[in-house]
Amino acid sequence: MTKQKTEEEKLLQAVALLNAKSMGLVFGILLGLLIFIATNWLLVKGPQPNSAGEYVVGPHLGLLSQFFIGYSVSFLGSVVGFIYGFALGTITGTFVGWLYNRIVMFRQR
Amino acid sequence: MTDGPDSRNGLTDERVVIIGGGPAGLTAAYELSRAGRKTIVLEKDDIVGGIARTVNYKGYRFDIGGHRFFTKVKAVEDLWEEVLGADFVERKRLSRIYYNKKFFYYPFKIMNAVFGLGIWNSFMIVVSYLKAQAFPDLPEETFDKWVSNRFGKRLYELFFKTYTEKVWGIPCTEISAEWAAQRIKGLSLLEAMKNALLKNRGRSREDVIKTLIDSFHYPRLGPGMMWEAIAQRITGDGSDLVMNADVCRLRVSGAKVESVTVRHGGGERDVRGSHFISSMPVRELIGAIYPPPPDEVVKAANDLKYRDFLTVSLIIDTPVLCPDNWIYIHDPGVRLGRIQNFKNWSEEMVPDPEKTCLGLEYFCFEGDGLWTMSDRDLIELGKKELGMIGLCDPSLVVDGTVVRMPKAYPVYDSTYRESLATIRGYLSGIDNLQLVGRNGMHKYNNQDHSMLTAMLAARNISGADYDLWRVNTDQEYHEEGEAGDYGLSEYEGLSSTQPRVPESVPRPIEQAIIKAFARLDKLAFALSVGTVSGLAVFMATIFLILKGGTEAYKYVGLLNQYFAGYTISIEGAFMGFGYSFFWGFIFGWLFAYMRNFLTGIFIFKIKRERELSSFKNFIDYI
Repeated sequence: MTKQKTEEEKLLQAVALLNAKSMGLVFGILLGLLIFIATNWLLVKGPQPNSAGEYVVGPHLGLLSQFFIGYSVSFLGSVVGFIYGFALGTITGTFVGWLYNRIVMFRQR
Repeated sequence: MTDGPDSRNGLTDERVVIIGGGPAGLTAAYELSRAGRKTIVLEKDDIVGGIARTVNYKGYRFDIGGHRFFTKVKAVEDLWEEVLGADFVERKRLSRIYYNKKFFYYPFKIMNAVFGLGIWNSFMIVVSYLKAQAFPDLPEETFDKWVSNRFGKRLYELFFKTYTEKVWGIPCTEISAEWAAQRIKGLSLLEAMKNALLKNRGRSREDVIKTLIDSFHYPRLGPGMMWEAIAQRITGDGSDLVMNADVCRLRVSGAKVESVTVRHGGGERDVRGSHFISSMPVRELIGAIYPPPPDEVVKAANDLKYRDFLTVSLIIDTPVLCPDNWIYIHDPGVRLGRIQNFKNWSEEMVPDPEKTCLGLEYFCFEGDGLWTMSDRDLIELGKKELGMIGLCDPSLVVDGTVVRMPKAYPVYDSTYRESLATIRGYLSGIDNLQLVGRNGMHKYNNQDHSMLTAMLAARNISGADYDLWRVNTDQEYHEEGEAGDYGLSEYEGLSSTQPRVPESVPRPIEQAIIKAFARLDKLAFALSVGTVSGLAVFMATIFLILKGGTEAYKYVGLLNQYFAGYTISIEGAFMGFGYSFFWGFIFGWLFAYMRNFLTGIFIFKIKRERELSSFKNFIDYI
């Protein structure tokens, strides 16, 4: 009909494509910050008694070192964790965005 | 009639021949005159201005339909200012609906409507509106359904049905919904969203609309004053204006119009020219072309329909009747459609301050009962109906006259678009003929858009390449936008009318809005999140297996609290993938659904606000 209708149709029918790189960056920063803040939060809270009565800092979060070699519940560990988290988040976010776009394009073919 | 000396010796006359002395024809002549071109304007009637003329009856002036002067097109506004300047008066708009002997403000005011209609009626209107929202009548193919679905059946029947049928002479059940959507399109959804997001750069949208709708300019002696002034200017510049000149033939040779034959003063003459601009009704134009166009073109032209119009102008012996500029008459018991109160457009329209002059507007078809009624009978009908609706005592009417205006409105029926396409296809083969104006293009152009087509036609003769058919197609209706949007020094604001741009491309801000509000594909998002989640658990499990037994086994193994049967093993890795994929899929789908739902609510809200703003001007658009 008119430009107006066309634009309205475009708006109502448009399917979003994700910017995989941006999404990766966002996920990366969020996951990196999550680990960084969580680690430092435990440091600020200080040692807590575990089931054996020993005072330890972040026994559960420390298990991340099983996956993130070099990570520990310490300030340096929080920086290492940020880097790991950033890397993992970036890969995950980028992959989600990339895969989503592929599926959308496949479905629109 | 003078014919160019060149034509007499067989050479081409360099004059531009303009058919029609209405706003489009005279604007074309004026623009060409400013560019140093000589023109000859051929007007069928004995008065200039077309439907925008001012008729003078014993010093009482009246307008055919009421022409407010406001526009978004700056070039048009500049022309108005240049020609009349100080002769414009500014008027506040007041136009009410007269129904059941009561005035209803238009646009509606809630308290006025409630008191006028009564509590019960108002309640039923609200109920009917809610019902229409909850259970719309689908499919929405006809005008009655289109309006009822938006405003409720009761409001439609009270305020829109009768008036629409009076104006167009067609039952609302036979008018297409597409027509309503086109005519009442209002602000584009994207524009509305842009305004909502950017807050209209500091001005609220209400303010913008209010400014444009609540007041308007008007020449102190009516719209004809504009066209009389332009006629004087063009003749002063050496162009010709021939009144009572009925164009009966256009001689076409090859891809060019060579001349037009004009009936004038009892004889016929040929007028030659290098270029031809026509604002005569398309149907008559095609009928006048010689040799005749192909049969399908002639048939298409004959299929075009028009709605005609007559004004019964009554002089009433009272200084003040009502404060309105015009009144819509919705009573189904009278044939009267609208009343203009010319004194409230400009005091100078009425010479005697003790009197009032009303224009009673009847919509009809040429040749029907109303059209063929004698002037005396029409005046009596007008007086009687004024009394019936209770607006005025008929005995106060001291004089009156009638003006008939054939082909006032081109009818957009189910076949017009196809017919027009056929005609345009044929006319595109004639290089030196351009169509302008309302009837000239069979397009519901208002005065400003008619003028704009003429301005562009004049520019085309000077070498430009504008597509006149795109005027008033791409631009939103002028009441709904900010004045001066089209800053047209050198017409840069009209780039969208250039034929070199085959399809309008949304501007960056609009593209950004479309991107931002595009919906997420739920299935795609669910699949991608599910896959990534599944892979994360799968790889974490495999990693732990490869790394060997640690304390992490104990904790990661706790996943089996949620994923029954999950263990740190190869089988567990696959099982973890399956579970994690499933939950990731659910989460991704819900996330996409919620995101779409929330953006949908925002778009719906903007859309509803837009519709309400259209509703505000609904009757004007009819």
